[in-house]
Amino acid sequence: MIRTSGGDRSAKLVLSAAAMIPAAALGFVVFEMVKEAYPAIVFNGARFFTTKTFTIGNLYGTGVEVRHGYKAAQGATFGILPLVFGTLVSSLIALVLAVPVSVLGAILLVERIPRRLQAPLGVFLELLAGVPSVVFGLWGVYTFGPFVARDLYRYISDLHIPWLTGAVGSGQGLLTSSLVLAIMVVPIVAATTRELIHSVPVLTKEGATALGLTPLESVRVVTIPFIRTGIIAAALLGWGRALGETIAVLLISGNFLNAYPKSIFSSFSTMASTIAALLDGALTDATGMAVHALAELGLVLLVITLLTNLAGRLVARRLRGPGLPVGRGV
Amino acid sequence: MKRPIALALVSTSALAVAACGGSSSSTPTTASAPGGTVASASTPAGSGGASLNTGNPSSPVTLNESGSSLLFPYLQVLASPLQAAYSNITLAPTAGGSGKGISDATAGTTQLGGSDAYLSPGQMAANSSLMNIPIVISSQAVDYNLAGVTTPLKLTGNVLAGMYQGKITKWNDPAIAALNPGVTLPSTTIVPVRRVDSSGDTFIFTSFLSKTNPAWSSGPGFGTTVTWPAASGELTANGNPGMVQTCKATPGCIAYIGISSQAAAQSAGLGEAMLQNQAGQYVTPTQANVTSAVNSGVSSVPANLAAPLIYEPGATSYPIVNFEYLVVKSTQPDANTAKAIRTFLAFAIDPSTGSTSANLAKEQFVALPSSVIPKVQAAIAKIGP
Repeated sequence: MIRTSGGDRSAKLVLSAAAMIPAAALGFVVFEMVKEAYPAIVFNGARFFTTKTFTIGNLYGTGVEVRHGYKAAQGATFGILPLVFGTLVSSLIALVLAVPVSVLGAILLVERIPRRLQAPLGVFLELLAGVPSVVFGLWGVYTFGPFVARDLYRYISDLHIPWLTGAVGSGQGLLTSSLVLAIMVVPIVAATTRELIHSVPVLTKEGATALGLTPLESVRVVTIPFIRTGIIAAALLGWGRALGETIAVLLISGNFLNAYPKSIFSSFSTMASTIAALLDGALTDATGMAVHALAELGLVLLVITLLTNLAGRLVARRLRGPGLPVGRGV
Repeated sequence: MKRPIALALVSTSALAVAACGGSSSSTPTTASAPGGTVASASTPAGSGGASLNTGNPSSPVTLNESGSSLLFPYLQVLASPLQAAYSNITLAPTAGGSGKGISDATAGTTQLGGSDAYLSPGQMAANSSLMNIPIVISSQAVDYNLAGVTTPLKLTGNVLAGMYQGKITKWNDPAIAALNPGVTLPSTTIVPVRRVDSSGDTFIFTSFLSKTNPAWSSGPGFGTTVTWPAASGELTANGNPGMVQTCKATPGCIAYIGISSQAAAQSAGLGEAMLQNQAGQYVTPTQANVTSAVNSGVSSVPANLAAPLIYEPGATSYPIVNFEYLVVKSTQPDANTAKAIRTFLAFAIDPSTGSTSANLAKEQFVALPSSVIPKVQAAIAKIGP
């Protein structure tokens, strides 16, 4: 047995403290949010999840709404269905667009591009990951949105596919938000996938080549099976980013509450962007219920994020079978 | 137009000159100002201030402010002349939004909370020591992007409500044409632009719509954020600069833009609408028309100063005008802080010290007219330990 020195022991203490911090932080956030949201949870009951209208009410009115002993401003009602819809749909569209592009891009980058070009191109990927989301938001609303509305959406709309047709406006809405979210998700998924591909054992790849597989077949038979659970984990990271993205979506979404978007081009709103848009006004609610309701909304967003993460892990576990023909864990 | 300058020149006592010496380079007399030598510090700045007990506090006091992003740059302008006049008062303004201003001031995190909107009855009932002190007057223009229309368009609140409800969708709609005989209106689609963030500008604009359109009043109503009706093709923008930018990029847009961004709106080529006031006249937000609205509305301003200056009577009154408030607690932790707050507020509302035309020019604000100053001073006098 190895004798532990004092240095080892203190290192162990520091490391276990550091390991506790993320768990403690999450616990603290959940506790505070439940505490802040509790009056709203009681006030709203089930209608929070079954109704479509989210309004903090008339703060200058004389009356108040009283339910289960808690007060809210006159006319206040909190239903989050369209917000949940907007959050899930925009992030899923983003994911569906971003994951294939990222994975194919990463494979191309590692397997096909000459080694001396890989590093510079990789830098672009990392730079893209570092662009602040407000920049994406401003670019989306002033440059990208009007551009795709004029040069792309019109033609999609003319196909008259249900829900993919309608007034395209100047590009604020669900599809532009999803596209910008996709661009924000791509570097996360692509950078992770690139590292995964690098981790594919060289021997296995050489074996595939020795067996006479073409590079394309080698990718299909060796690389992708080896990394597919990792890709799901990377997609989950990206999904988390898309679910919680606030300012970019706020700027691009058109911030439309209380109804489902009529088409993929319509204005909409997500849970995160609604919290940001309404918080300042909510702070002026003397009953405090508006802020409690936003806290409840935040709590639901947190739960959705955790659930999607868990669901993704379950999927990844089921896929984890014998991925490689030559066995894993090399 | 020149009234505040004239007043500043009339009251060129040594004190007044010293007080505005910090910033107003346009006033020729400031060169001779003995900067910072406010010996008679207990003498109040401004008329009728004797009962306010203003002056340099005996020890340094920092007045922290948070809130309205519209008021923030103006308070930054006031900070240095304030310190030049009263060396022991430091004004530390920050932005963050009117809601944050009110909640910080309520919680006591700050001494002053900047707000574009007055406190609601509910807030005043919940916090009986909260007061809202107007320090300056702002207004709002309604702008549009219509190339080829050079005469300012005449609009009513009722028609604007129709646009934002999605009921009036083309610029050559008969409802608009009827207000503008002789103007050739294009058939461009109207694109209403609204604020995405909580905003005092949304508050006063929707107040105007509520007062002029019954359906708006019973529907979306007014507030810093409201449930907007679905108007096809409508756009959202962040902040007044965002409104200008979006409207500039969107032919056919209609947008409500705070007066502080009106210079930017005009250089972006946007047209400024003449709005119909209660007397049926069409007016623009000139300094005279804004002041006229306050003078007409002053009799209905209650003692707690929580008053909308929207759609006031009077032939020359501009219809979208508001007080910019500082929210303070009437009960302060100590006499020194209370004195610093009273002194700053008295300084801010005095057209010879704080609200000089030079200080106001940047944001295009208008000084409180003499008709309302006694009411504000009475409120300031209530601030004590």
